[in-house]
Amino acid sequence: MKKRIISGLLVASMAFALLTGCGNKSEKESTESSGDENTLTVWCWDPAFNINAIQEAEKIYQKDNPEFQLEVVETPWEDLQTKLTTAASSNQIDTLPDIVLMQDDAFQKNVISYSDAFVDLTDTAIDFSQFAEGKVSASIVDGANYGVPFDNGAVIACYREDILEQAGFTTAEFEDITWDQYIQQGKVVLEKTGKPLLSCLAGETDVLAMMLRSAGGGFFDEEGNALIADNEILKEVVETYIELVKSGVLIEVNDWDQYIGSLNNETVAGTINGCWIMASIQTAENQAGKWKITNMPKLDGTSSATNYANQGGSSWAVTKGSKNPELAADFLGSTFGGSVELYDNILSTGAIATYQPAADSEKYAQTNDFFGGEEVYTKIVEYASEVPDTINGVYFYEARDAVGTAITNIIAGADISTELKTAQETVEFNMQ
Amino acid sequence: MKRKMSIAKRHNLTGWTFIVPAALLIVAMSFVPMVQAMILSFQSGKGTALSFVGLSNYVRMFKDGVFIQSIKNTFFYLILQVPIMLVTALILASVLNKKDLKFKGFFRTAIFLPCATSLVSYAIIFRSLFAVDGFVNTVLIKLGILNTGYNFLGNPTSAKVIIIIALLWRWTGYNMVFYLSGLQNIEYSVYEAAMIDGATAFQRFWSITIPLLKPMILLTAIMSTNGTLQLFDESMNLTSGGPANATITMSHYIYNVSFKYVPNFGYAAAMSFLILVLVALLALVQMKVGDKRD
Repeated sequence: MKKRIISGLLVASMAFALLTGCGNKSEKESTESSGDENTLTVWCWDPAFNINAIQEAEKIYQKDNPEFQLEVVETPWEDLQTKLTTAASSNQIDTLPDIVLMQDDAFQKNVISYSDAFVDLTDTAIDFSQFAEGKVSASIVDGANYGVPFDNGAVIACYREDILEQAGFTTAEFEDITWDQYIQQGKVVLEKTGKPLLSCLAGETDVLAMMLRSAGGGFFDEEGNALIADNEILKEVVETYIELVKSGVLIEVNDWDQYIGSLNNETVAGTINGCWIMASIQTAENQAGKWKITNMPKLDGTSSATNYANQGGSSWAVTKGSKNPELAADFLGSTFGGSVELYDNILSTGAIATYQPAADSEKYAQTNDFFGGEEVYTKIVEYASEVPDTINGVYFYEARDAVGTAITNIIAGADISTELKTAQETVEFNMQ
Repeated sequence: MKRKMSIAKRHNLTGWTFIVPAALLIVAMSFVPMVQAMILSFQSGKGTALSFVGLSNYVRMFKDGVFIQSIKNTFFYLILQVPIMLVTALILASVLNKKDLKFKGFFRTAIFLPCATSLVSYAIIFRSLFAVDGFVNTVLIKLGILNTGYNFLGNPTSAKVIIIIALLWRWTGYNMVFYLSGLQNIEYSVYEAAMIDGATAFQRFWSITIPLLKPMILLTAIMSTNGTLQLFDESMNLTSGGPANATITMSHYIYNVSFKYVPNFGYAAAMSFLILVLVALLALVQMKVGDKRD
């Protein structure tokens, strides 16, 4: 009998230990992440790109603050978003690191959904006027700055000079053009070389969003209402896109790997994307010297149309989970918001600054042999400064999916205005 | 004075001691969150700013075009895929149960193996197989059946069919193993007797195998229904729900509402409860139809 009672007690105590063990664990984690006063934890995702950048920033900051230490945790963006959502919605903000890198497209959504999770950086020493305007606007919520801009998402149009030559063109003839001219010249290229000018993901709206933003448009108006069905710019964008697909100048692929493949395998003669796409293009070493860069085409029928837009890019945010938000803000301000040296050091990885003073650095005047031996960095910084200010909106991902669905249906033969009306209703429904 | 417990009481106490730890864990890990999710499903709002809204989440989902589309898609998979899979598994199991078949072990392993692969990696492999310049198109072009690559995942119907093919490939072997184990329990003498009476192979299958396997068929039917209603990986990784939401499943949409869009966990919890109700209802129907034991 005694044995039984003892074993019973043992089992019960084990169960108890298990149950309480779970409770303790989260507390332990939260204290771990904050560490001591001079250590900051950072979540970001790309070892060759943004992790490298923040580590370079650490080295620069350590010159003046030898005590300072950074703990970088590699966290893919999808995981970062999931962790952020989980921590913030369960009120466990202290499990978050001091600094997170956030996609610009998701910035508004996260700050507005979890206003208690991020630190307002407006009144810190960071001089936001030194950054490109179109870039900073992504991380401004209700007039307050919540993010320090990191990489540039200025849109570039890349062309295979050698393929264009076969069709009797040069990349220079694609500079400052309209989409009409693009389609006309694209048809010639397709006819003579059999290669489309552009590839993109079916059902994704990246190309559409770039066209929209290049004319200062978006899926939402200034009050944040969905602006899809009665959006004249969007209508022209959709018509242009359909024309691109129908003429064969644009080829749709199903996933990102196929998109990169279409560039590296010479399926297409060019692409249009944020300037971070250069890193992927350069992986095809045998194509060195064959690519050239210029600005993107602009819309014909819209008065606000330009040849410049923003696509992708990310910004650093300081979370309220930080034990030392002043240090985090000072670190970001004196590196990403104040060190030309940092931007010089990370330029080789393709991280092009939105910090204007960095663009005046000698390094940016260097030529790039992969892209036709031209001064591509100066060019991109110039494009970035021309990008019109746009409204991304909190419900950007909802709008993106709804318009993506509309586009797929329109290509399959549905009516443009009915489909855009459905998309408008879908987004409005999501916003309720 | 020593108090003596009766034997029955002592047995009961021992039983309870064994059950209580596991029961407590299940309650804490499973039932408490369920109740919390239930409470959550009556709330709505962005992120953490939630307020009670009564049943409006449950009303909302029947006005949500994308969610209704996802229900239709899921039932399309369910109605087509589950019967095809179970019949194929049954046929494979009875073929592989033949006494005189050679390399039985090899065939059984080969057919079972797909369900040991990771959900994500097999979805990605299927995606590249059916790409415009993928393996399937290359073979079809080489054989002269197609002139140019067909965009299997870009067409609503063919994308759905490919998800079904992928599901069949992965799960048929899994269900076959259940049938095989059920078949082991059927006395061979029953078949011998039937053969002596002159029953054909089909008659033996229809009148002996199926009735004796009924509990197993019921189990696999409920499991597959449950699995299909909660389908997520294939929609997420193989087609990303596209083209134009033609392949999105309920779970995938719930994920989008929670993590991709502006998070609305109350609404997501309400939709999850609908899945629970659907699974419970379908299981009930299947048990009523399939189980005639009492």
